Amino acid sequence: MSAPRQSLIGAALPRKEDDRLLRGDGLFTDDVQLAHQLEMAVGRCPFPRAAIGAIDVAQARALADVRHILTGADVRAASEPLTVLRPVPGAPLLPYYALAGEEAIHEGQPVVSVVAASRAIAEDALELIDIDYEPLPHVTDTLGALADDAPVLHRETLPSNLLTSNVDRAGEPEARLAEAPVVVEGRFHVNRVSALPMEARGIVAHWRAGARTLEVHASTQTPHLIRQQLAECLPLDEGCIRVIASDVGGGFGMKLGLYPEDVLAVLHAMALRRPVKWIEDRLEFFRASTQAREAVHEVRIGAEADGRIVAITNQYTTDLGAWNSTYGSAQLSSVVFTGPYKVADAAVERRVALTNKTPIGAYRGYGQPEVNFALEVLIDRLARRLDVDPLELRRTNMLRPEDLPWTTPSRAVYDNGDYLKTLQMAADAVDYDAHRAVGRECHDDGRLTGIGFASFVERTGYASARFLAGRGSRFGAHESVVLRANRSGGIDLYTGVSTFGQGSETAFAQVCAEVFGIDYEAITIHAGDSGASPLNTGAFASRTLIAAAGAIREAADALRDKTLRIAAMVLQSTPDALEVHGRAVRVADEPGRTVSLADIFTRAIIGQGISEDEAPGLEAAAHFEPSHASFSFGTAAAVVSVDLESGEFDVERFVMAHDCGVVVNPPLVEGQVRGGLVQGLGAALAEELRYDASTGQLVSGSMLDYFAPTIMDVPPIDLLHTEIPSSITPFGVRGVGEVGTIPPAAAITNAVCDALADYGVEISTLPLTPERVWQALSAARNAREPR
Amino acid sequence: MSGTERAIAFRLNGEAVSADAPVRMHAADFLRHRLGWTGTHVGCEQGVCGMCTILVDGAAIKSCLMLAVQLDGAEVTTVEALAEGDRLNAAQESFKRHHALQCGYCTPGFLMLAESLKASGRTLSRAEVREELVGVLCRCTGYENILRAVEEYLNADEPEASR
Repeated sequence: MSAPRQSLIGAALPRKEDDRLLRGDGLFTDDVQLAHQLEMAVGRCPFPRAAIGAIDVAQARALADVRHILTGADVRAASEPLTVLRPVPGAPLLPYYALAGEEAIHEGQPVVSVVAASRAIAEDALELIDIDYEPLPHVTDTLGALADDAPVLHRETLPSNLLTSNVDRAGEPEARLAEAPVVVEGRFHVNRVSALPMEARGIVAHWRAGARTLEVHASTQTPHLIRQQLAECLPLDEGCIRVIASDVGGGFGMKLGLYPEDVLAVLHAMALRRPVKWIEDRLEFFRASTQAREAVHEVRIGAEADGRIVAITNQYTTDLGAWNSTYGSAQLSSVVFTGPYKVADAAVERRVALTNKTPIGAYRGYGQPEVNFALEVLIDRLARRLDVDPLELRRTNMLRPEDLPWTTPSRAVYDNGDYLKTLQMAADAVDYDAHRAVGRECHDDGRLTGIGFASFVERTGYASARFLAGRGSRFGAHESVVLRANRSGGIDLYTGVSTFGQGSETAFAQVCAEVFGIDYEAITIHAGDSGASPLNTGAFASRTLIAAAGAIREAADALRDKTLRIAAMVLQSTPDALEVHGRAVRVADEPGRTVSLADIFTRAIIGQGISEDEAPGLEAAAHFEPSHASFSFGTAAAVVSVDLESGEFDVERFVMAHDCGVVVNPPLVEGQVRGGLVQGLGAALAEELRYDASTGQLVSGSMLDYFAPTIMDVPPIDLLHTEIPSSITPFGVRGVGEVGTIPPAAAITNAVCDALADYGVEISTLPLTPERVWQALSAARNAREPR
Repeated sequence: MSGTERAIAFRLNGEAVSADAPVRMHAADFLRHRLGWTGTHVGCEQGVCGMCTILVDGAAIKSCLMLAVQLDGAEVTTVEALAEGDRLNAAQESFKRHHALQCGYCTPGFLMLAESLKASGRTLSRAEVREELVGVLCRCTGYENILRAVEEYLNADEPEASR
């Protein structure tokens, strides 16, 4: 008997995606160039809120090579408001058209759009359009928007700027807090940031009137959902619409769902019967693509004198911006608000506030980094209050392997894991005991050293379509795949999951090759084309592989069964005596008796040379819906040194110990974690979309003003893994896409506060800049002398 | 359109190019949309992100900060010139080996920067390589693998040595 092949699950195979991208052969949206293509530019409201009077387009229309102009009235006549895929339960819908009507309510909201022979001419035309704006009172502050005297954004629908609020709770947290010997509380401000993919958004819309076919190339994570939304907004059946996402230059959650410009490009293309391209420039991007994170968390923790936490409450206000974007603001803060801790009495209230700012949408982590910052920083405050070691405090309260599965107060179910193990690994990696023994003042130059931890869980994937329906979501929890044998002896894998850096082409091929037994190289991936893939959900929420692995396994099993049946006839054997090896089927005990897959597949495809009982064709489709979400987990540790005079600090080391279950491709996992960490570090330390309160203008809305990390800004990062198979997913995998964004802010804040513990410094606001540290230090010094 | 376009001639990836360039079009748009070489990407059009980095007379240049007409007479190299037939070149192989790309949008910029460093013949420490790479942003990888890939490429004696 031949030696069994080494498993491909866990193999560091080269990526399917790499060669084309390395050669400049990728096909990004702006690389698509169609014959007779025109270009679109969008005119945007320069005020945070303004009544829109007359719009005079006469001069623009007269400009040579200007082909078509749309205003708010045209859009209302031709399309429905953008639909919301993830409505806020209990909240009214806020009709959101692709162009503003009588009033615009955030800086950058589209007001008019022009199509011309070139983008430059379209922009010239925008300069010639005269719009009567009457600025109106606005509000940009999240909590200020909920004040009684705040100007109300959606007066027809809502009496205030509170879109909705909802509560998850268990036990009697208020009573536990009232009787707890120690209660700590804090108000934490989480900054508004941008996902900032290196490729901004874009669309090429092509309406072939005779064929009644709308072909759309778009930079999106969800081609099938865009197709659904276009059909909902336009007088078109879904069957007329094909959405293609070839290569996507980064998504991070920001490229989910339909945007106003998508509708505009399609309306122009249908009116003109010519292809229309819109490529978002970077200045537009900062105002037009969804922003993320901004929230204020008010957290209370009650504990016994020995450090045992008895209750947690969190009332948080999440800033939605001016509209409910397709996905809206974060809900996951409510799901994981008790973190990896064993707390039965807890309550969380989520309030959604409307402000005159760009709409908020999904971004990697989507509520989890925000609540982790609030909870983990307050845990360290509790440790200082109780005078216990923060590591020990976490150890005391952390869920143990035997506590799992654990139903949280917000009714999420954590699957199996060993949270304490990653905590200890992180502590060992930064030599925590030695640090504690040496003390904080160990630099010759007087800088103080601190170590901070942040432990976390990450919800990955969705429990089920039923779970999503209960939350009002209008998409499914499944993934799907079609596997089709080809006459070269290979397998074509069709998926609606588009490729934006996550490596799904590689991981999918690995799973397929593992199950079928065929060479990894014999699998060709066809991704992101709604016209050439089964209906699916899309790549977000760290859910893709959890769901797709199940579908691929089922389809590959079906394809393999039929392959072996036909091969058994050819080899005069039985299916269970056969194995797939490379690009052939052979008798397991007699490797010399073999038939090529090209031969078997060709017989099956044309229906010749197969048993009369077999139908022709060799193709399998499968849909798989997970039964549960799976929770990745881990602990990060940061080592910082702080200059006492200036507040300047260095992150000298950053360690991440984490578990995402069974790893399909180790370099891909490391790449996801490392990339997420650097995004998390950027958001923690420097990135911020700042709005000036008086003018309502975005003041950090360009690449020069928004400080995304460069290579020089990244501290040394060490990654440590455990690999505990999830008990509830195919192959035991957990999601890994978002985990890196979660713990950096809390770990570094805790490290800085640890370094400055003798001065009583507390930090509650992000980003954590040297200026902010200096201010906190000054405030603390004024409040009291060092102990 | 003669007032708004100007005839230019230059060498692109070893071939002579003669074309009319709109006077207000930057070099990256010209390469991409007039000549159809879309391997060079555009990310910010203000010289920060480095997606559009190309070689002009051997120097790494952010081509969004250069007008197309300034290419006149230059020797220009873009990412499309790197692979040797069906084979990736040593820099590309090093990126692949180190998983130094995810979405791939920034990759041409980093590759061209790496080529300019290689051509300079300087011996660079790891810290110096880091400093040299500061002009191109990446939002996916966290940079570590890009640093490893470029460092290995620069330290290899011959392109073939790293295969």
